[in-house]
Amino acid sequence: MENTAKNAEKTIATATVRSNRPLGPCFYRLSLDLDQTGSEAFSGINPGRFVELRLSELAIPPSEAIPDELTDAAQRKIILSRPFSLCDVKEKDGKVIIDILFKVLGAATVRMTTLKRGAKLTIIGPLGNGFKVDETKTNALLVAGGLGAPPLQHLANYIRVNFPHMRVVAFAGAQSYDELPFTVLIDNEEGLFLEEFSRMRVESHIATDDGSAGFKGFVTQRLAQWIEEHEPDTSDSIIYSCGPQPMLASVAKLAGEHNIDCQVSMESMMACGIGLCQSCVIKANTPANETSYKLCCQDGPVFDSKDIDFG
Amino acid sequence: MTASGTCGYADELSSFFDVSSLGGFITKSITLEPRLGNPPPRIVETNAGMLNAIGLANLGVERFIAEKLPIIEKMSTKVFVNLAGWEIDDYVAVTEKLAGRDGISGFELNISCPNVKKGGITIGTDPAQVEKITKKVKKAAGNKPLMVKLTPTVTDISVTAKAAVDGGANALSLINTFTAMVIDIETRKPILANRTGGISGPAIKPIAVYLVNKVYNEVAKPAGIPILGLGGIMTASDAVEFIIAGATAVGIGTATFPDPMAAMKIIGGIEKYCRRKEISEIKDLIGSLQ
Repeated sequence: MENTAKNAEKTIATATVRSNRPLGPCFYRLSLDLDQTGSEAFSGINPGRFVELRLSELAIPPSEAIPDELTDAAQRKIILSRPFSLCDVKEKDGKVIIDILFKVLGAATVRMTTLKRGAKLTIIGPLGNGFKVDETKTNALLVAGGLGAPPLQHLANYIRVNFPHMRVVAFAGAQSYDELPFTVLIDNEEGLFLEEFSRMRVESHIATDDGSAGFKGFVTQRLAQWIEEHEPDTSDSIIYSCGPQPMLASVAKLAGEHNIDCQVSMESMMACGIGLCQSCVIKANTPANETSYKLCCQDGPVFDSKDIDFG
Repeated sequence: MTASGTCGYADELSSFFDVSSLGGFITKSITLEPRLGNPPPRIVETNAGMLNAIGLANLGVERFIAEKLPIIEKMSTKVFVNLAGWEIDDYVAVTEKLAGRDGISGFELNISCPNVKKGGITIGTDPAQVEKITKKVKKAAGNKPLMVKLTPTVTDISVTAKAAVDGGANALSLINTFTAMVIDIETRKPILANRTGGISGPAIKPIAVYLVNKVYNEVAKPAGIPILGLGGIMTASDAVEFIIAGATAVGIGTATFPDPMAAMKIIGGIEKYCRRKEISEIKDLIGSLQ
């Protein structure tokens, strides 16, 4: 399915905060109502694209609300906008609502905790290229590491709605239970599931490094185990992954070994998100094995895993 | 004008506004051969500024001519090509390839990039080299004007400014970034892969204003040549400061990253200031520091 709106030009739009709720001890889910311009640009976009939020005007929270480890970082003035993936894009009464899942990690995200319903933000988007859903495949294996989960939540929903013939299986990994960016775990006789995926009737598997939830080990080990158990038709399967680079490298390797198509969503420090600053380079594979860079913001953030040089 | 390295090769900003509304546009640095640039991380934000170490990544002059020049030729704004290189001959070769092309209004000589090991800043900190390269590139530029972009990392910027003027520069642009470093105290390593980068943004603005005023008084005004003032301009008030200090034009760089409309907003703000102060000609404001 080629959605006509998904190639919409990037635009500068105003977003109004609907809600900004803590999610577990580490995360927030920020829901934004887009204005008319934003709604037109974001309507029907494919998952994996991103948005830049202008945060320089946000106030520092009161000192008691700042985590100890961010006391110093919080003082820093913010100049650059920050890129975020989207965990949900929905439409209501002709207007688009986008949801962002963020972790409080530094000067910008600590300010984002102060966002209250009704606050206005300037955003630029939709940016980059998202996941290309290959509808000829039957099995979509979604592999998320830590904060790589948001765009895969959007992707799971997108596939369920637009390509109901595809089977979606999600794998989510994190260092520990607290680091899983999801609402709740469903723990019943059938096992341990993630509520966000269960709601979409998507089967989910959990892996934590410390074993505090689900499989003890890396999500890639859980994926390898699942492939071994289920022996899916590899030519009929595709992996979509997002997470830290070492994890993506190991997903790409696994995909290569099983000859499964694989798309990875990469991350890199960027100043603008729109191809001006040339900062967000990702090392790319070239036929001649020469060093070559692609821009994460414009050429990605989603790439075919074969195009990336993971080093 | 939009500053080199912050606005792409040609019409990248045109998805946000009509680039013909700009006073001018300066391309990112163009070198003789294509350049990959430095490995990532290439940028880091710091208090009131950012460091970059892009390393002159660009597609090289041949591809620039083939792919970008046709777009530039259709742009109805003054386009200046920023020239970079290693040896003086590299700069001359790039200039020769572009000098005869329509659509290019002039050149900006980048002898102040702090992020490459040779060329750039090593030329820009040596007055004798500054005069020599200016003379040679000016000759290669034919009848197109040449603006020389100065580095602030010298003891006395008026000395290098004077050298550029003696070499035949038609204009001076200042300042380029300062060499700087940010350290990750957990790993005790610099954040940038290049270890150092050039700092830009509001952090450097007051220094840039001072240096523009100094060069205006000591070199540009006596020689009768204009200054493009830049360094941390985020607002119209910042831009007006540079003009009062002696800049004939101002460059908008880092501000464009968070707000692609920054240059447009600053143009509007300067007009508003002039109306409020009943200044009918912007030239009455240039160098009007009391």
